Amino acid sequence: MTDLSKHAMVSQNSFARILLPSLRLVYFFTAGVFFLLTLAACRPSSPTAPADYLVVGIESYPLNLDPRYATDANAVRIGNLIYNSLLRADSHSRLEPELTERWSIIDPVTYDFQLRRGVKFSDGRPLTAADVKFTYESMLEAKNRSPRRAQLKPLKEIEALDDYRLRFHLTMPHAPFVEQFTQGIVRAGSGTGADSVELSPLGSGPFMLQAAESGEKVTLRRNPVYWDQPPPLPGVVFKIVPDALVRVLEFKKGDIDFMQNDIEPDLIPWLRTHTSADVGAYDGTTFQYIGINLTHPILRNLKVRQALACAIDRESLVRHLLKDVGTVAGGVLSPLNWAYDPSVRQWPYDPARAKRLLDEAGFPDPDGDGPLPRFKLSFKTTNVDLRRRIAEAVKEQLQQVGIELEIRSYEWGTFFSDIKKGNFHLYSLAWVGVLDPDILFQIFHSSSAPPDGDNRGHYSNPQVDRLLERGRAAVDPAERKRIYGEVQRLLADDLPYVPLWWWKNVIVKKPSVRNFVPYPDGDLISLKNVAVQP
Amino acid sequence: MKRYVLVRLLFLVPTLFGALTLVFLLIHLIPGDPVEVMLGETAGAADKAELRRSLGLDRPLAEQYRDFLVGFAAGDLGRSLSEGAPVSAILRARLPATLELALCAMTAALLISFPLAIFAAARRGGWIDRAALLFSLLGLSLPNFWLGPLLMIVFAIQLGWAPVSGRGGLNYLVLPALTLGLGMAAILIRILRASLLHAMTEDYVQTARAKGLSERCVWLKHTLRNALISLVTIMSLQFGSLLAGSIITETIFSWPGVGRLTVQAIQMRDYPLVQGCVLVIALSYILVNFATDIVYKLVDPRVSYGK
Repeated sequence: MTDLSKHAMVSQNSFARILLPSLRLVYFFTAGVFFLLTLAACRPSSPTAPADYLVVGIESYPLNLDPRYATDANAVRIGNLIYNSLLRADSHSRLEPELTERWSIIDPVTYDFQLRRGVKFSDGRPLTAADVKFTYESMLEAKNRSPRRAQLKPLKEIEALDDYRLRFHLTMPHAPFVEQFTQGIVRAGSGTGADSVELSPLGSGPFMLQAAESGEKVTLRRNPVYWDQPPPLPGVVFKIVPDALVRVLEFKKGDIDFMQNDIEPDLIPWLRTHTSADVGAYDGTTFQYIGINLTHPILRNLKVRQALACAIDRESLVRHLLKDVGTVAGGVLSPLNWAYDPSVRQWPYDPARAKRLLDEAGFPDPDGDGPLPRFKLSFKTTNVDLRRRIAEAVKEQLQQVGIELEIRSYEWGTFFSDIKKGNFHLYSLAWVGVLDPDILFQIFHSSSAPPDGDNRGHYSNPQVDRLLERGRAAVDPAERKRIYGEVQRLLADDLPYVPLWWWKNVIVKKPSVRNFVPYPDGDLISLKNVAVQP
Repeated sequence: MKRYVLVRLLFLVPTLFGALTLVFLLIHLIPGDPVEVMLGETAGAADKAELRRSLGLDRPLAEQYRDFLVGFAAGDLGRSLSEGAPVSAILRARLPATLELALCAMTAALLISFPLAIFAAARRGGWIDRAALLFSLLGLSLPNFWLGPLLMIVFAIQLGWAPVSGRGGLNYLVLPALTLGLGMAAILIRILRASLLHAMTEDYVQTARAKGLSERCVWLKHTLRNALISLVTIMSLQFGSLLAGSIITETIFSWPGVGRLTVQAIQMRDYPLVQGCVLVIALSYILVNFATDIVYKLVDPRVSYGK
């Protein structure tokens, strides 16, 4: 042992000897700091929700509850509990009167509404034709920057015939305009401009805004002057829990009473076996698809697109990756839509047929079952875990028929920017809240290429164009159904999209939560009828 | 010292200017458009152009930058494009949450690391030392996205001692502070232990002992104090990053802090909010560094900042 190491031994031993009193000092100091800091920093401990309020777990904070500005799903759904509209889609996606006693179509460009009497805003002031006129007109003014202004383009004028009678004049026949009558109504004179959630205008719905804490929660309380049956719940708290796993743990602990969607499919079996939750999956209208760039020299070929459709085993993706929270889709419109046509051409999984189609298209496999692909494509998706796993599965399936996919996953803003610019071969996205079949105009009409619409793959079929134009001008529902049936058949043949599935709405709730009715578009309006029975 | 403080305060201006300029350019150069995000898919091209014009996003970048600097100089950080509220109000609402979490995580890290590192150095090679090193290795290896849910499952679900997530009283802070604190403690243990062991072999410690100073005095005044210099450096860097917001921990624990807000603002391409968040982050780093330099002086009187 060297002198130095002896020294070290000696000093370590003595070090240990003097350590205990010093350690006590360190402990007292740090414990004191901790105590002071936490006392100073902590807010008073309070429960998440007032007594008897229903706690709903949601993924993200609603950006703006004002129905003239709401664009994100949570803002729209929470807004529907605060604001009423002239018409409202029911649980079968049929438009039913809400603020309206009766309504009629005078001619293809004129709609008459007789408002209910006795409807009041949450401050007790009656809702009249002036409020409805104000809501729509404030959205039409360019300076108010309402994101919904474009949808009101066919609106020429609103006439208040008296306090409870309104007449809407359109510039031209535009059948899908009826969807605009589901617009939430705010009080006349409400502030315009994209204000914060806390400054949202008053509504006449079953609930009213009680408090909004940015990034944490939005609390609604029962509207004391609600004109219809008062809600059994005294209030609802929308608690923001961004992580899906944590939402499930919150539910398990009992801090969340209700969740809808945004649940990892893998967690659903766990919820069923490890909690007392009522878990239900209900047919929805959200349509997942693979978008195709039709300006690409390979993808322009119809047989290649048909081969893609045949090579993807959607049944297996739905079963294994989605845990059956989807239904294999044949097109944008789901069977829940009144215009759905079940007779469209289907593309069942058939890899042998896919290979034949690729051979016929002039892309033979260069080395049979060898490693060389027929051709390579890129597949863009978001960096959400489930989306990436779906992309991996699609890549594997396409590899079986000799198509090599390079997966590129991006953060949402970058991904969406690329898609809008047409900078892709294939991508996967979903259409949410499909109600009127006129959405097909926005997606597939040749004049709807970005920036004027969402025909991102630059699909063009003059026959489809003509039908879509006729569909929006026709007023007779039977004629529209026939027209859109034809459109759906043509799209299923042309395959500008490879349809994947319609997502189901997954509802997870405590067994004590009663009377909730799921809506195909995920609307939470039936929370107004929900009661909690111990 | 006074001169030093003044010089450092003067340095704040170019540092902030540099950070804000860099962020302004980067956020405008990355792909994505706030108008697309704000108006959604259904808006027409004319409406998008109109909104772009009314927000001033159609003007040359240099002009937008000038307006941003003028606004900033007047104390106006603008309005959030996505939330509509003034950026300063949003930051005011979120900053206390970040401060709470940062202070508690730092304190938890100190509480864990100090005694463990001192014991480990005192009993070098013993079981406490080995346990401290193992703890440190685990703390460095376990990512927060794994550790957070694990703590939740054990302490919130199984034992029911703490809430799962959210912000409220002290009980809400325990798990996120531990999640962050354990990783930081792992680093601090290694640094403090190594510094203590190194200081113990220094000549001045032997000299102090030879002068007949008590072991307690030798240890407190010479060994630990010298070992603290490197610890303070690491702590300041970690504390700075904590004040910038801990994105993963904040997301897992639904903690409404600046980190989550920054990510959300970037995703929404909410330029004014991103700039406001970066301002807070830059200021945090600058102030923490500033405080660190002053602490250096307190810990080690040999440190000199003037001529």
